[in-house]
Amino acid sequence: MPRKLTDILAQADARLEYQAMGAPPAEPTPREVIGKPSPRAERLRNLYYSALSSASSEFPYWYTRAYGGLDNEIPVVRRALALESAFRHLTPTIFPGELLVVGKTHHYRGSFPMPWLSEGYYMAAENQLYQDALARGSASADEVSTFGTGGGNVTKSFGSVVSIAGKFGIRKEEVPAMLRVAHAWEGRSVDDVGHKYEQMTPGYEIKEALMKSVTCMFDSGYTLPQGREVVNYDYPLQFGFDELISRTEQKKAEVAGRADGDGLTGMNRLYNYEAASHVLRGIQAWVENYAREARRLEAAEREPVQRAEYTRIAECLEWVAHRPPRTFYEALQLTWIVHVAVLNEDVISGLSPGRLGQVLWPWYEQDIAAGRLDEGKALELLECLRIKYTCLDCFASMGVVGGVLSGNTFNNLSIGGLDRSGRPANNRLEELIIEAAMTCASTQPTLTLLYDDKLPESFLLKAAECIKTGTGYPAVVNNRTAIEFLLGQYGPEGMDLEEARAIAIGGCLETSPCSWMPLTLNGRSYWIPGGSGQPTSVGVHFLSLPKILELVLFDGVDQRTKLRVFPGHGRALGSFEELFDQVKAYFAKAVEVLSLANNIQHDVWRKNNTAVLNSLLKPDCLETGHLINELGYRYNATHNVETCGTINLVNSLAALKSLVYDRRLITLAELRKALADNFGFRTADEVGSFSLSSQEKRGETTEYDRTHVECLTAPKYGNDNPYVDDILKQWEDWFCATCRDYESLNAQPYYACQISVSTHAPMGAVTIATPDGRLAGTTFADASMSAYPGTDRHGPYALFASATCWDHAQSQNSQLNLKIHPSAIQGRAGTKKLLELTRAYMRKGGFHIQYNVVDSRILKDAQEHPEQYRDLLVRVAGFTQYWVEIGKPIQDEIIARTEYEGVQE
Amino acid sequence: MTTPSRHMHCRNYAPIDAVKGICHMTKEIVHADDDACPSFVRLPRCAECKLYAAGADDYVGVCSATSNRPMTYPDLVAVTCEWFEWRSA
Repeated sequence: MPRKLTDILAQADARLEYQAMGAPPAEPTPREVIGKPSPRAERLRNLYYSALSSASSEFPYWYTRAYGGLDNEIPVVRRALALESAFRHLTPTIFPGELLVVGKTHHYRGSFPMPWLSEGYYMAAENQLYQDALARGSASADEVSTFGTGGGNVTKSFGSVVSIAGKFGIRKEEVPAMLRVAHAWEGRSVDDVGHKYEQMTPGYEIKEALMKSVTCMFDSGYTLPQGREVVNYDYPLQFGFDELISRTEQKKAEVAGRADGDGLTGMNRLYNYEAASHVLRGIQAWVENYAREARRLEAAEREPVQRAEYTRIAECLEWVAHRPPRTFYEALQLTWIVHVAVLNEDVISGLSPGRLGQVLWPWYEQDIAAGRLDEGKALELLECLRIKYTCLDCFASMGVVGGVLSGNTFNNLSIGGLDRSGRPANNRLEELIIEAAMTCASTQPTLTLLYDDKLPESFLLKAAECIKTGTGYPAVVNNRTAIEFLLGQYGPEGMDLEEARAIAIGGCLETSPCSWMPLTLNGRSYWIPGGSGQPTSVGVHFLSLPKILELVLFDGVDQRTKLRVFPGHGRALGSFEELFDQVKAYFAKAVEVLSLANNIQHDVWRKNNTAVLNSLLKPDCLETGHLINELGYRYNATHNVETCGTINLVNSLAALKSLVYDRRLITLAELRKALADNFGFRTADEVGSFSLSSQEKRGETTEYDRTHVECLTAPKYGNDNPYVDDILKQWEDWFCATCRDYESLNAQPYYACQISVSTHAPMGAVTIATPDGRLAGTTFADASMSAYPGTDRHGPYALFASATCWDHAQSQNSQLNLKIHPSAIQGRAGTKKLLELTRAYMRKGGFHIQYNVVDSRILKDAQEHPEQYRDLLVRVAGFTQYWVEIGKPIQDEIIARTEYEGVQE
Repeated sequence: MTTPSRHMHCRNYAPIDAVKGICHMTKEIVHADDDACPSFVRLPRCAECKLYAAGADDYVGVCSATSNRPMTYPDLVAVTCEWFEWRSA
């Protein structure tokens, strides 16, 4: 019987505490609040549960066919004509019972590759394109990422279906055409062209080694070049497509042949407006095709209720294809159309609808007042919207979709916050949005509460009640801290306090610049919030901090691949200060080389693959005639440096400081040996578990037991212990300031971004044991402010004190997950307790907190019997996902997270 | 060209995913590859088009609608194609 870590700790009278503040009830406890959707939404959700992620070649086929016939056209117009053709030719599918229609493809849960960005990653492993991607390091993360094998993931080929990119199923009859289309982009994709030029950057060999060792997770320029931003629906809602096309035509006439004082880009405006006009016409045709399909179904339908619904759908689409919406239903349908259109323009994760309840408020308010709508109908529509969002898939590489996104698409809907004048911005429609998220629990859109002390208690309690359903949403974000960050980051581009109040979260947790847009409906004027910044979480993504430490301890050589990543530092590391200094030096070098390469990739993207539609929607592109590539957006300082494994780094530095430098219990050489030998344990892969407590010793060796126990019991983050927290503060102060030393391609400073998403699994998988006692291959602590599982022993308020030892407004975000047992917050009193707990963290300056309200024993059972848990939702790190669609490394980590049995101080 | 009457090639078939769909006539879930029912209505797709010519490789052909004769594939749905012409009545 192999010895487990728990046995070794027990011998030393030590243990990891996976339950804090008491013990759980004897029997597994289900979540207290469980909602039920309308029969219609339930049918549509059940259809989702049965649907496989399916890929189609239709969009890439028509895009590539049109693009190929346009040699020597102006690049932006060429791309627009290709997009127009693709939209025009998409096959419209409407499913019985749907009220809101339009999808990415003709499948219920469909998506497609975009080989003009990158074409190698979805080839078979033996394909030369895939081998090329491996050789340059861009597919290295794919090799160490996993998907859950349940739910809609097609992880293996079967019957007539071929699995591609680890998750998507495609009909075998389409595969040869898909390959032909992919090969048409060989040497021409953003990935390929970018690679040609990135090799010219100084230090490129380090960049490639960082990718191959998975010290850095992925390049954003050709994987997810857009997203983590807030879309802006204002122009289509205010003007409608006909008027927008008319405005682009009018603008063409105004700027044609004129530089207007701008000799560099003034002339480009004509081509940009021409491109915008083409894309808008393509989208209009796409919507009209859906309207025709609704009419066709209406004509064939014998059942009167369904026939009337097809009629209603057709009338709605025929109207919004041309004109601004008149009703809440039309406005909701139009926002969805715009959302999908933007998603089809590029590979995007984290395209957030922003404060949708405030955007749609004018139609809701007026429809309710006029008796055209009641709350029941609105709730049903909002439930239907949740299903449409949940059906979204993002087609990208295994490393990106599996390793980073866990299959999620991060459409984050923000609620609450303040209005332009600083008053609470919440409204009744937002309460219905929360209600729909409770009655129709699903992954998308996830919700974020922009917490402000000014918001009414009843609204905050409603949000807390929703959290208790265990869906993980809404996450709670500190509105004031976010505004402070925005003013610091975008003040130089002209943002003032009033504009900063428009803030919404893009992607899982990216504080995003937004603006107030004027809107008039039936003579009444409103200001609605919408996105006005470039994509965020583009630039350097993600940097593994524990791996950087590994490279410092082993003089620049990655211990998994034995690849030299950095030139040897040659330092003796004789003091903690010298060690910490070298960590910073390697980190800074990594950011330097990665930012240069990523600037090139994004530059190639914006030259050859620019965002036409998304640009047109964002202020102030329509007015100026400049798209994203010419900095037409109001806010352009959005590139950042994203890290993973903060707490494992901090705990490891604390252990090194304590054991090696302060108490001198072990030498650095002895510790290196223990780490390289994984403290005498088998690998996580061999054990088949990725959580620390399940790891097993190799044979009977006891060689490293004492050292390992010392490492595990060294001071840990999350216990209000200044010994560790001072290291965290030092790191954060340095990291947040240092990012600003690097310049993005937009000539703006980078900034810090601290969310793990799912990267703590694959990055943990490639990292050897760390000085905090974590073993090789096991998953890192999630997020950036979550404690490492089992090490936060003094309750949530001690954790909050540790987390807020630094100024969160210096970073775009921070992230803290807490797992609470349902019994700890039962009843109305429990809801208030949860709100008070949250409020305490916000008032200490914490930026973000989210909860998993779940009994860990249920998760363990779900791991053993996944077939019984198709609908089980959990919060990972900034997003909610179906348990069965998550890879085992993340499942193990969520099970291991410390479970709080009580929340009292 | 005679094509097998499978559900996935029927105009009443709404594809849920790569293996199944909903029949608009019955509202039942049907398997893409199963034989269609008597209510089968042919779906416009390249294989059914007068302008389509099969290529040397399986599942890849040529479209002669435009002078550059681009590659296409037989199962490409053509309900939105401006050049589609039924191969036979």
